[in-house]
Amino acid sequence: QVSELVQLLLVKDQKKMPIKRSDILKYVITREYKDYYSEIVNRAGRTLQQVFGLQLVEIDTKCRSYILINNLPRAEGEYLCRDKEKEKMGLLLVILSFIFMKGNSVKDSALWEFLHLLRVYPGKQHRVFGDVRKLVMDEFVRQKYLETTQIPLTDPAEFKFQWGPRAEKETSKKDVLNFVAKIQGKDPTFWASQYSEAVATT
Amino acid sequence: ENRESMLNSKSNRLTETLEEANVIFGGVCHTREAILDAQLLVIASNIGKEKANELHSEMSAFDSTAFAEDLLTFMGINRTEVEETDGSEDVPGGFLPSGAWQTMGEEASKYFRRAPTFHYMMGSFKSEPPVPKQRIERQKKASRGKAERAMPAQLKRMEESHQEATEKEVERILRILQTHFENDPDAPISFFDFVIDPNSFARTVENMFHVSFLIRDGLAEIKLDEDGLPIIEPTKPSREGEEDSRAGARNQVVISLDQREWK
Repeated sequence: QVSELVQLLLVKDQKKMPIKRSDILKYVITREYKDYYSEIVNRAGRTLQQVFGLQLVEIDTKCRSYILINNLPRAEGEYLCRDKEKEKMGLLLVILSFIFMKGNSVKDSALWEFLHLLRVYPGKQHRVFGDVRKLVMDEFVRQKYLETTQIPLTDPAEFKFQWGPRAEKETSKKDVLNFVAKIQGKDPTFWASQYSEAVATT
Repeated sequence: ENRESMLNSKSNRLTETLEEANVIFGGVCHTREAILDAQLLVIASNIGKEKANELHSEMSAFDSTAFAEDLLTFMGINRTEVEETDGSEDVPGGFLPSGAWQTMGEEASKYFRRAPTFHYMMGSFKSEPPVPKQRIERQKKASRGKAERAMPAQLKRMEESHQEATEKEVERILRILQTHFENDPDAPISFFDFVIDPNSFARTVENMFHVSFLIRDGLAEIKLDEDGLPIIEPTKPSREGEEDSRAGARNQVVISLDQREWK
């Protein structure tokens, strides 16, 4: 049962969509073992950690969904990452940096305005990313990298963007601040309030 | 409405609006108006929150434009060339290379603890190949049957034409020999000059093959000349009758000629 669950988790993680408890119950933990759900999940988590160096994280306590993140220290050298994925991570990091530096929450209009400066337009098909709006608002949100909430009573509807739970787990404010500092050739302490916030949350 | 002006930290418009709303609320007696008032308060509080946010980020001002510029630089933008795109008047000139986001992604992957995606190394089993193979085999058998039926008919025709071809060739060679002799009756041709095709060994062999028919049929004869080299000449018609009666006058000669000798 445990190894089946490990397999399920690994396969489901390919798309980086969170794995739901309902899926687990459907495919792996059949009715007779339902009582042992927690135990099986825990053991699977341990296997993932010990064999693969991956951490099983529960990101939503209400509907119990999980994601896998890499628990190994970052190694130098080639990452087994396809080009398409790499480019998306690039865009994602830029977006996360923007959100953080702007106080952890930005309006969608502000984000698009910023991305304009980088030749990325929501209405225009991008050479690399294709339908950017879909990528940002749909894919990144479903993968839990970004969270978007509608600002009430706005017409036409406006949204605000924040970091999603996966972003919180896979990276940190400190890392992102370091990234910004590197890009701008400054010391992270240059942005005092962001710096103190970043240090506080590690 | 007027969100932006209210957001301006220097303006007091938000406060003014709230005060105005308070006053108006005193005159409210219908539910609908009360709802509008409630909505106004929600909007106002949102704006208030945003204003507070703006204040916060102003403490450590983050210049997003400068950040964007620096990002472009990092991605290797070429600012000397001007990009020909429409509708980008507000974007400063410069040409982003095609690998720009790749570069970005390379750097970015260092900041994420992303689980590598799981893939089978050898690929997964597919149950499809067997079915198409059967179909192909069946098709092949069917077409082969037809081809074979066509073959015998073709072969027959070919064999016929092959025989004809040989006869025709033999006749042709005989005619050549005869023509030559007509022109110069007393000069037999050196056998080798006659049969050898300087350009093709295969032709040479073919020529010898055809000549042998002539000899067999008594239409030509090969003799040895003074130097011991074979010469060939057509048999004179008058002699044909005599040939038949002469027994043992025919000899069998095996001539071997390989490619090197031919050269």
